[in-house]
Amino acid sequence: MDQWNDELNGLFASYKAAVPDPEASANFMPELWRRIEGRQSILLRIKKLTQVFLAAAAAISIVFVTILSVPAFSRSDPSGSYIEVLADAYPTETLASHGILPREAAEAKAK
Amino acid sequence: MLVDFELIQKAKAGDDAAFNQVVVAYRKRILGTIARLIGRPEDVEDVAQEVFLRLYYSLDQLRTPEVFEPWLYRLTVNASYDYLRKQRRRNEARMSDLSEQQVMMADAAAGGKVSSEDRRRKQVKELVDSLLGAVSEQDRILLTLKEVEGLSLKELEKIYSVNENALKVRLFRARQRVLNAFEATRASTNKPPGRKD
Repeated sequence: MDQWNDELNGLFASYKAAVPDPEASANFMPELWRRIEGRQSILLRIKKLTQVFLAAAAAISIVFVTILSVPAFSRSDPSGSYIEVLADAYPTETLASHGILPREAAEAKAK
Repeated sequence: MLVDFELIQKAKAGDDAAFNQVVVAYRKRILGTIARLIGRPEDVEDVAQEVFLRLYYSLDQLRTPEVFEPWLYRLTVNASYDYLRKQRRRNEARMSDLSEQQVMMADAAAGGKVSSEDRRRKQVKELVDSLLGAVSEQDRILLTLKEVEGLSLKELEKIYSVNENALKVRLFRARQRVLNAFEATRASTNKPPGRKD
């Protein structure tokens, strides 16, 4: 077993000799900087897109808030009760067309 | 350390010229380590550039310049591991497309191109590559760093951020697997231990 271990150690040592440290090509540094700049521009684009997205989200939020708040202020009589609102919607004149008489008229008719 | 702490601090602060100097200082060592980790000379530069690219974008996370070398080795290990995983997937897909005869013909053609001196190196390389194929990519890298690159357990502990005992167990198991594969290879070629070529 020790012999196998020694042989394996020898083989690993030969492997290091068989694969020496290679020299970098002349293109190594320019290519590295090209990749760094390429990644930078991608990151920059992502940052810009994020900013655009955030601005759009903020604008949409403002529009929604405006839409939801405007009808509340534009109501004609916000303090009116339900009965008053109902009376406005169905004036006395239109009730006759539905066969409904105002109280006074109905009492006079009964007498 | 191949460079001053001051230079690393400058590079960390965004000085591109300082970063360039750091790359130039470590380039050869990293290229050599990658060459032995991945075993494919044609892809060594590509992986090394990936290492330095990751270094450029992670330098600001470096706590102190003292841990720079383990940090750089960790980036090297990670980039090599990513490459080996991709390569294994690619090889599986490629080999499944070829018939056994085509594979044998491709091997024979590749063997005919090298000179006799290169052939011996190639045999050593191929043997070690095939033996390291007996373990996972992680163990291949760990074993290569320990047995071929000659890193100490203390250095490996810093690179992996794992305690020494865990590393010892992992290394022992990986080495045993490689040793078994080595014995099996030798047995198949009927060569007793200790006999030199």
